[in-house]
Amino acid sequence: MTSAIKLSRPLLATLAMALALGTQSAPAAEPKGFLESIKRHAVLGSTVPDNGDQNPYAVVVAPVSAGLIQKDDVLVGNFNNANNLQGTGSTIVFYRPTTKKFGQFAQIPRDLAGCPGGVGLGTAMIMLKSGWVIVGSAPSKDGTTATRGDGCLIVLDSQGKVAATLAGANISMPWGNMAVIDEGATATLFVSNAGFDLGPPGEDAPMLAKATVLRLRLEIPQGKPPVVTNQTVIGSGFGAQADADVFLVGPTGLALAKDGTLYVSDSTANRITAIPEAATRTTSAGTGREITRDGLLKRPLAMAMTPAGHLLAINGLNGQVVELDPAQGKQIYARWIDPNKAQTPPGSGDLFGIAMTPDGRGFYFVEDEVNMLVLAQ
Amino acid sequence: MTATRILTLPTLAILLATAPHALVHAQSQTAADSDVFTGIWRRPNLLGDIGGLRSMLGRAGVTMTLTDQNEVFGNTTGGLKQGATYDGLTTLTLQLDTQKAFGWEGGTFNISGLQIRGRNFSQYYLGNLQTASGIAASPTTRLWEIWVQQALLDGKFDVKLGQQSLDQEFMTSTGSAVFLNTMMGWPMLPSADLYAGGPAYPLSSLGVRFRGQPTGNLTLLAGVFQDNPPGGPFNDDSQLRGSTRWGGNFNLRTGALFIAEAQYALNQPAAGEMDDGTSPKGLPGTYKLGAWFDTASFPSQSIDSTGLSLADPASSGNPKMLRRNASLYAVADQMIWRPTEDSPRAVSVFARLMGAPGDRNLIDFSVNAGITLKAPLPGRDDDTLGLGYGYARLSSSTRATDQAVALANGGTTPVRSGEHFIELTYQAQVTPWLQLQPDFQYVFAPAGGVVDPNNPTRRLRDEAIFGLRSTVTF
Repeated sequence: MTSAIKLSRPLLATLAMALALGTQSAPAAEPKGFLESIKRHAVLGSTVPDNGDQNPYAVVVAPVSAGLIQKDDVLVGNFNNANNLQGTGSTIVFYRPTTKKFGQFAQIPRDLAGCPGGVGLGTAMIMLKSGWVIVGSAPSKDGTTATRGDGCLIVLDSQGKVAATLAGANISMPWGNMAVIDEGATATLFVSNAGFDLGPPGEDAPMLAKATVLRLRLEIPQGKPPVVTNQTVIGSGFGAQADADVFLVGPTGLALAKDGTLYVSDSTANRITAIPEAATRTTSAGTGREITRDGLLKRPLAMAMTPAGHLLAINGLNGQVVELDPAQGKQIYARWIDPNKAQTPPGSGDLFGIAMTPDGRGFYFVEDEVNMLVLAQ
Repeated sequence: MTATRILTLPTLAILLATAPHALVHAQSQTAADSDVFTGIWRRPNLLGDIGGLRSMLGRAGVTMTLTDQNEVFGNTTGGLKQGATYDGLTTLTLQLDTQKAFGWEGGTFNISGLQIRGRNFSQYYLGNLQTASGIAASPTTRLWEIWVQQALLDGKFDVKLGQQSLDQEFMTSTGSAVFLNTMMGWPMLPSADLYAGGPAYPLSSLGVRFRGQPTGNLTLLAGVFQDNPPGGPFNDDSQLRGSTRWGGNFNLRTGALFIAEAQYALNQPAAGEMDDGTSPKGLPGTYKLGAWFDTASFPSQSIDSTGLSLADPASSGNPKMLRRNASLYAVADQMIWRPTEDSPRAVSVFARLMGAPGDRNLIDFSVNAGITLKAPLPGRDDDTLGLGYGYARLSSSTRATDQAVALANGGTTPVRSGEHFIELTYQAQVTPWLQLQPDFQYVFAPAGGVVDPNNPTRRLRDEAIFGLRSTVTF
C-alpha cells in the first residue's frame, strides 16, 4: 500500500501535466458554434392531419398554454392538401413533447372570406403570449402561382377557430417565417410578402424585385383578437420568382437580434441581409445590408437564432442547416440534417421551417417530402 | 381484382372503425376542391386522394401504393419466332406505421399483392436466358410480401421478419434499376442457380433480415430465408406450384438461404455530418459486397445420380445432387460527371458481378453494367437515358458436358458458352404519376448458343427486341 502511494504521486503529477498540456494544445476543441453540440436527430412523427394535408412548412413553439395548446407544444402548418398541391393546405397540427403525441389545432375553411384567393398556409406563423395564433396564407387553386391569390394573415383563437383576417395593399402572399416582439397587450410582427405581381411559373417567369418585409404593430385588447394599429414596410426590393417545383422563391427567413436588427434570408440572391433598427425605423431599408452570401448557403429559407446570437438558416437546395455569425458576417459551418438520397443534392427541396427548442439546446425542423417533424438536440 | 381482395382483408376493420369520421372529412374535402381534376398533371398520384380514401387510410397510419405496369415487346429477328406480345403487372402495397396506428414506435407492417397477366414474351419468342422483361412472369394473382419491421437505436438498426422478396434489398443497383431486362433487376446468377430463382419477384419466402448502420456510410445487411419458395424439385419448380400460385406457400421444409451484404456510401453525407465548406466534394457512389450460402442440394452439371457422366449415352440424365451452394457478388454505382453540384443532369455508371461454383450451377458468372444519363434534355429533369450490357456465362461443368456430348455425337450439338445482351432505354417521366419507357434490346447467342428448335442445323439466332412500358401510379 505504502509503495503504491509513493508510486502514485509521480503518476498523478504526470497525469496533471498531461492534462494541462492537453488543455493548452486543444484550442481546436473549443466549440465554433451551436451545431456541433447537436447529438442526435429524432423523428417525432407524421405531421399529416386527418384531412390528409401534406408538406409541413411553418414550425413554431408555443410560448404559453392557451386553449388547445400547452406551452412548448410545437405547431406545424401544412402548405399542401391531400392531393399534394401547393398553396392549398389549410391545417395546423401540434406536437406535444410531454405526451409525444400529435393533435390537430386548426382546420381553416379553404374559401375563407376576407382572404383573397383562399387558404394555403405558408411558413409565416406565430403564437402570441395572449394565446392568439397568426398564420399566413399564400394560396393557390391548382398548386401553382398561375391561380394564386394575395392571401392574408389569419388570426386564430386558442381553440383553432378563425377570429379575424388581415389583408390589404401591404399583404401579398405572406411567405417567410415571422419574427415578433411580444409584450402581451401589444406586439410587433415582421413578415415577408412575396406575391406582388407574381405570375405563373415557367421558363420565362420573371425575377421580380418587389417583395417586402412588413412590420405590423398590434394591440391586443383583453379577450379580443389583435388589431393592427400601424403598418410599415421596413424592407423592400427583395427578389421573388414563381417556380414550378417549389411554388415560389422569395425572402423567407426572418430572425430578430437583441440589438433590434432584423436578419432576412434573401433566397433569390442566395444571401442574408440585415435591416437595422427594425422595430423603430420609419422607412424602408431596401434589401438591407448584406451580411453574407453564397458559400454554404444554398437558397436559404427559414431561420432561427441561437441563444448566442448565431443564425441557423435552412437550405432549400440541399439537406443542410447553415450556422452563421451575423455580427462577424461569417459562415461557420453547416450540418447535414436531411441526407435524403432520393433528391439531388441530398435533401434538396425537403426542408423549410425551423424553430429553436424552449431551452435553446436544440431545434425542431420538418422534412416535407416525408411529412415528418424532427427534433435535433 | 387482386387489389380489391387484398385491400379488403387487412383494412376492413380499420375502414369500419374510421368510416363515419372519414365521411365527414371526405365531404368537406370534396366541397373544398373545386374539381377532382385540379392539378392532375402535377400531383404524385393519378387519383389524388381518391375521394378521401387515401387520407382516411392515412389517419389509421396506412399508406397505400397502387401501380399498374403494361408493356408490349416485339422480336424482329432471330429467337424462337418473330412477333409481339403484351404483359402487365398491378402491384398493391399497404404499409402500416405502427406509431401512427397505435402509438408503437418504430414499427412497420407491410403487405403487398401482385396481379400478373399476359404472355411471357421471352419464353414464347426468345428462348434466351436473360429475359427481356423484369415484370413478365407466370400469370396469376398472388400475395407477395407480408412482413413486420422494427427499428431500434434511432433507426440505426432494424429487423424485418416475415415473407420477403430479396430483390427489394439485396444486390440492388440504382443505375441498373432503370432498365427493363430482368437481369437488370434480380441478376442472372441467382435467377438461374437458386430454386425457382430464389425468393425474388414474383416470389417471396419466410425469413428474418437484420440491418445495421455502424457508421454513417456503412450499412450491413444479413438474413436467413427459406430458399425455395414453391418447394418443388430443382427442375420442376414452377411459380404456380400448389399454393405458391396465390402466395400462400409459407413452407419452411426446404433449405436455408443465408445472405449478407456490406454497403459503403462514398461521398454521400450522413445525418449529422458537419460541413465547413472546405472539404472537396467528390461525386457520390455506392459499393456493395455480398455473399449467399444455401444449405440445400443442387444438380451437378456433369455427373448423374449413378456417377456416370451426363454426357454418357448410358446416363439416366438425372443429375447427382450436390450438397450446398454459395456465391460472391459485388455491386458498384458511381456518378462520374455532373455540370454542377445541384444540377439534375448527371452521368453515372454501374456494374454488378457475381460468381458461383461451376460444378453445380448452370451459370457460374454473370455481369451487368451500364451507363445512365439523367436529365438528358432541357426541361426533362426526371428522364433517364441508359445504355446497358449483360453477360451470363454457362458454367465450366456445363460447357465440359456439352463438349463431351458434342465429341460423342461428332459435333452435331453445339457447345454453349455465354449469352450477351445490350439494352438502350429511355425512361420518360411524363407526369409525376406516369412513366413511359421505350426500349431496345439485342441478344447475342441466345441461351449461350443453343440449337434452334425450328431449325436443328443451326443455333438460335441473335434477337433484336423493341419494347414499350408504361407505369402508372394511382
